[in-house]
Amino acid sequence: MLARQLWQDAFRSKVMLIASTLMLFLLLFSAYSGWENYHDQNFTRDEIQEEVQESWENNPDKHPHRMSHYGSFALRLKHVLSVFDLGMENFVGNAVFLEAHKQNTVNFSEASMSTGLLRFGEVSLAMLLKVIVPLLIFYLGFATIAQERENGTLKLLIGQGITRKEIVFGKWLGLWSLSLIFLTSIFLVLLLFVLLESHDSMHTDSLLRYAVLLISYFLFFGILSAITILVSAFSATAKGALVKLLGIWLLFVIIVPKSLQAMGFYLYPTPSKIEMETAVEHDLIALGDSHNPDDPHFKALKDSVLLANKVTEVEDLPFNYGGFVMSKGEELSAEVYLEHQEELYEVYHKQNNLERYSAFINPYSAIKNLSMAFSGTDFQSFLHFKDEAETYRFKLAQDMNQLQMDFIPNKSKEGPNTISSDYWKEFPPFEYHFLSITEVFKNELTSLIALLLWSLLSVFGLLKLSTNLKAI
Amino acid sequence: MYSLLFKSFFRTKIFLVSLVLLLSVGVISILIGKQFLVKQEKTIAAAQVFQEESVKKNIEYHSEDLGLLLYYLRFTLAKKLENISAISIGQSDVNPLLQAVTIRGLEGQKYDTDFENPSLLMSGNLDLGFVIIYLFPLVLIAMTFNLYSEEKELGTWRILVAQTSRKAGFLLKKMAVRILFVFAVLITLMFLASTILQISMNANFWAIFLQSILYLLFWSALCFWMVSLLKNSSFNALALISIWVVLTILVPALVNNYVINTYQVPEALDAMVEQRDGYHEKWDMEKDVTMNGFIGAYPQYINYEVPQDRFSWIWYYGMQHMGDLAAKETIEEMTKKIMQRNKVSEKVAFFIPTMHAQLSMNNLAGTDMISHLGFLNALTKFHESLRLGFYDKIFSEKSESSVDWTKHDLKFYQVDDNFSWLKLVLPTLLITLIIGLIGVFNLRKL
Repeated sequence: MLARQLWQDAFRSKVMLIASTLMLFLLLFSAYSGWENYHDQNFTRDEIQEEVQESWENNPDKHPHRMSHYGSFALRLKHVLSVFDLGMENFVGNAVFLEAHKQNTVNFSEASMSTGLLRFGEVSLAMLLKVIVPLLIFYLGFATIAQERENGTLKLLIGQGITRKEIVFGKWLGLWSLSLIFLTSIFLVLLLFVLLESHDSMHTDSLLRYAVLLISYFLFFGILSAITILVSAFSATAKGALVKLLGIWLLFVIIVPKSLQAMGFYLYPTPSKIEMETAVEHDLIALGDSHNPDDPHFKALKDSVLLANKVTEVEDLPFNYGGFVMSKGEELSAEVYLEHQEELYEVYHKQNNLERYSAFINPYSAIKNLSMAFSGTDFQSFLHFKDEAETYRFKLAQDMNQLQMDFIPNKSKEGPNTISSDYWKEFPPFEYHFLSITEVFKNELTSLIALLLWSLLSVFGLLKLSTNLKAI
Repeated sequence: MYSLLFKSFFRTKIFLVSLVLLLSVGVISILIGKQFLVKQEKTIAAAQVFQEESVKKNIEYHSEDLGLLLYYLRFTLAKKLENISAISIGQSDVNPLLQAVTIRGLEGQKYDTDFENPSLLMSGNLDLGFVIIYLFPLVLIAMTFNLYSEEKELGTWRILVAQTSRKAGFLLKKMAVRILFVFAVLITLMFLASTILQISMNANFWAIFLQSILYLLFWSALCFWMVSLLKNSSFNALALISIWVVLTILVPALVNNYVINTYQVPEALDAMVEQRDGYHEKWDMEKDVTMNGFIGAYPQYINYEVPQDRFSWIWYYGMQHMGDLAAKETIEEMTKKIMQRNKVSEKVAFFIPTMHAQLSMNNLAGTDMISHLGFLNALTKFHESLRLGFYDKIFSEKSESSVDWTKHDLKFYQVDDNFSWLKLVLPTLLITLIIGLIGVFNLRKL
């Protein structure tokens, strides 16, 4: 009954009217722009990826090492749920050139082609739920108990025999269910997109991700409603409750996440690319320098190969020696590079963990990270793409080296210097697979636990309030 | 009168909270700016070392063949950002500070990014610009939303009415006290920044200063207008925070989404493929195809002979250049679209002071997109002058010793720091005046 009353009050108030109109406009805009962006971008990238494969296969007969320099490209595809939460989507690169000997950076992020406006944030369906709806919940709920107490109606209610528990939980459920209007409308729109776009293999995965997002936001709004009721109950006046709630919103949604991220950056500095490249090069030379004929590492390698094949000159080896050296070099350089890259990501994780663990004092952090991860737009999803691209690059280079070893004769020996173009067609195209949902669960364990703890804490807080709610 | 108003203001809780909040976050933001400058210096120092050592090392390995040596050698061009960039870091974390390029095809190297944590890029830098654009307005709102309503709600307004003849004047003075306080904090932080970050007090510094003052005047006018509607405290708080959310979050984000979607840049990806194919396909073609294109671009090399039956450097670097030529048109298209994005954003920003403040601060600090495009242009010229400097020596098979390597140290690009005072000042000033006048007009009815 109290819940229904809260609904009626809400619909009578101007705030709700303005808020709903604004939300409807924002919902339509972000659904449209999110979908268009997803669709257009993936269309372009699919097209280019196919074009890349076609031109790869259309190469004429040539030396396989030419092909590993010809290389390929990997284009990052967007997950359908990126329509919901843009996450880091526009801040990470979209395409990378894959060639032998070299790990290129993933380039052409949207941010690199944007104006300073990008820093104000982006409008997406998730942004509405994460940033705007919490504010609306606070607007709609700040007066619930404080106002009734100020007017003296709270005393009347209790006098009529309604228990405190009924009042507290009635108001809570009322506010929560009110917030679910926004949740439902946004998730209905999203469901349409998910169903429209899911290909057979992705179908269950997308739906699962969708379900997790739905439950997370459902809990998140329950937590926010509980916070609203609690603050309202512990404030002397409705005005005081409002000011406190606005403070909480600003602190938790705007100031704390940004400050923690900045602090992480301040505490754990990262090297620039040129510094890392210098370090990689330095380590490589220390391990073995294939350019230097007297290098001990490569000399030992050569001697052991000659010994194993029982020959005295590399020309007499049963395989192409140049291809063999390159494949060993590729192995070595990839290993060293990945080691340094791993170190760099370790620092990134330290930087991010500050904000990640703040989920235990700030429920917004929990939902922010969960939402990105399950929408496939978090840092891990990007790293997954990078890993797949690097694996493909490595395989490409090594397969070409193998072809060279098998079919190209050693120097001073007779034989063709090129191989048939049929071999290019045998090499499979790059296909990107999204991170599996089990992996996402593993990555987001902290946020999940934090969200569940917050849910428990909310119910506990409300129960506590039910016993000592002051009527006057 | 004023001294009393100041005294009563200094006794409020909100005064103390605001002072501590603004000063502490302000100082943190200045330190973050400092760290940004230190990282830049370190990067440039590392690049200088890298440049010297890689020249030395590669000469050791490939001294017999200048063409091969220059296949490996990289030359660095770095942006020379003024220290003022630490106030408004802008896009300079997304875009690389420097680029080290070989004389091979440029398009494949030009857009390489630096390493930066994407989470940080997403949340943006906590620089002084952020503090001014986001936090100062909040403090203004917190200090003024109950300017009138509080007195009314506490019942003190009636006593006041009995004592003063000019009620509007009283409110204006009360407002002025708060605005003056906020300005005092702003000025303190600006001078603190200029000392800690060693910013030279040039026109750009004063322009950012002026822009910040105007921006806060705009918010003061807005708060004053809200007060002049004589509503209750809760309404004011709710309305002002909503306006803040709309102006600092929603509108700029909506404009950004619109701009990104309207001017999509698939050309970036197309050009990347075109450049590679434009170069690589030449390996399988007659050498004349390459040489005709190359000599078309640089007729001065017509007299060099190109052997038809074997590899030659003139053919190789010709092929490399053909890759750049193949992507040229698409790249121009891409640059045009990025400029378009900037133009539309700037136009809308004339009407939205938050956006105008951010974009103009980035512009004044040399950290906006336009200065990065300027850098990319300079990089193209730098690359061409390198190539033209080396071509003759490579094609005539001169030795490595014919090059004066000491001249090839790290080079700087000076970011253009011109701006128009009128465009900077006028939009915010006009909007502030209009809102302020409406506020004064409202109060005449009091």
